[in-house]
Amino acid sequence: MALAASGALTAPAIAQTPLQWSDDKVKAIARHGPWPPPLSRDPSNRVAGSPNAIVLGEHLFNEPRLSADGAMSCATCHIAARDWGDGRAKAMGRSELDRRTPSLWNVGHAHWFGWDGAGDSLWAQSIRPILDPREMASDAARVAGLLREDKALACGYERAFGEKPGGGDEKLLVDAAKALAAFQATLISPRTPFDAFRDALLSGDREAAARYPLAAQRGLKIFIEANCAACHFGPRFTNGEFGDVGIPFFTRPGEVDAGRLDGLAKLANSTFNLLGRYNDDVSGASALRTKHVQRLHSNFGEFRVPSLRQTGSGPFMHNGHLATLEDVVKHYSEVNPDRLHSDAIPLVRPLALSAEQSADLVAFLRTLSAEPPPRHAPPPLCP
Amino acid sequence: MRLLAGLLALVIAFPAWADCPLDLGRGTGLVIFSSHYLVAFRPDPMRIEVGEPFSLLFNVCTKSDKPAELVAIDAQMPEHKHGMNYRPTIVSLGDGRYRVDGMVFHMPGRWELAIDVRAGEESERLSHEFILK
Repeated sequence: MALAASGALTAPAIAQTPLQWSDDKVKAIARHGPWPPPLSRDPSNRVAGSPNAIVLGEHLFNEPRLSADGAMSCATCHIAARDWGDGRAKAMGRSELDRRTPSLWNVGHAHWFGWDGAGDSLWAQSIRPILDPREMASDAARVAGLLREDKALACGYERAFGEKPGGGDEKLLVDAAKALAAFQATLISPRTPFDAFRDALLSGDREAAARYPLAAQRGLKIFIEANCAACHFGPRFTNGEFGDVGIPFFTRPGEVDAGRLDGLAKLANSTFNLLGRYNDDVSGASALRTKHVQRLHSNFGEFRVPSLRQTGSGPFMHNGHLATLEDVVKHYSEVNPDRLHSDAIPLVRPLALSAEQSADLVAFLRTLSAEPPPRHAPPPLCP
Repeated sequence: MRLLAGLLALVIAFPAWADCPLDLGRGTGLVIFSSHYLVAFRPDPMRIEVGEPFSLLFNVCTKSDKPAELVAIDAQMPEHKHGMNYRPTIVSLGDGRYRVDGMVFHMPGRWELAIDVRAGEESERLSHEFILK
């Protein structure tokens, strides 16, 4: 996918005329930028944005000793070369899980984490796989011990937090997660052919706008007219909330993944949610969503609306149910309205696209990705 | 400016409500009314963004100058028949003034705000539409 998008950047040296765009459509396109977005700093994490914490976080991200058997790190599933996912339909921990490994691109701009939103901060979400017996199967004592006893990590901790790794095990587990979050928040996806088109359109640069493939322009029109932006809103192409888009929620015969409904129960019961004592934001503003979110019957079978930026080559959807981007477009073209049982204007309805329209929509979606710059190894913790 | 002129015209037209403070600060706000109630409110921050939490500041007044109460606030997208994913809380600030926290309009489009007010035994629902883009 990244290769295809890269091709889209360079291919249209041939002069072409951009489609005609009404003022309303230009405004709709404008809302998907600018990109990259302004830097945001999580107030619930006192080391967010700290260069030393980012370095510590990247080392911890690649540290298999965080796991019970020393065999798995965050990077085992969140692979940089695979758009911070793993390219599998279902994540593989110590056994196969029920959901796909989500990409970490732009995760610092989210407000709910995990497919079910059980995490309300990036640092709280970073704790979950460390403790989950199906994944890293670790515990607070192991993580704290590593921070205290490994000379390099202890030094990195001191640089990041301004003190030696002290306090209880749980506090050090949270601090490790806050460093992990500081690192993950730096993963901003690259500018794409769509961004160049958007900016050219807004600045009236017809020549630059004309470099955007016509198929992608037609696909963008379909995206706008089908109101995809109701959920895939804003610069990240997600409103960060949850929806049921007609993907089967049976995980195996007789078992369902209740999605957001269960996620909210987990959130409420979590020691690490933003209403708890580990939130560094004394203003309380960062906990507003957690305080007010309500658990509704309609949350059953809802999953987080994913960003459409840098989606990788698939599989797609929360459980990897659809293998390719073409399959995703086909799903939205043919989705069964009875499955979604809406008694109003449904947000998801069969788009009934022709083969050409489907290809155009795929062409547009591919222009939301680009080749990211090469990554280098993190600097040493304490040179 | 037009809004201020509108507020002034409203107070002149309904002198019984002259004591109802319609300006909620920063010289701006929205006013809706029925035969019994007059409700002035404004979002905080003033510009509501899709997916971003905001508050609402209210003054609730009655035509007969009885004390009035803001009982409940809700919002839904009428076209899609879904409400907010968040449950707002109401804090009374005294003298018919209220602050509502925890509002989030999580999609662009038409949102209908339902404002339940009460004075004594009488209650009523007033509404107001927002179009979010």
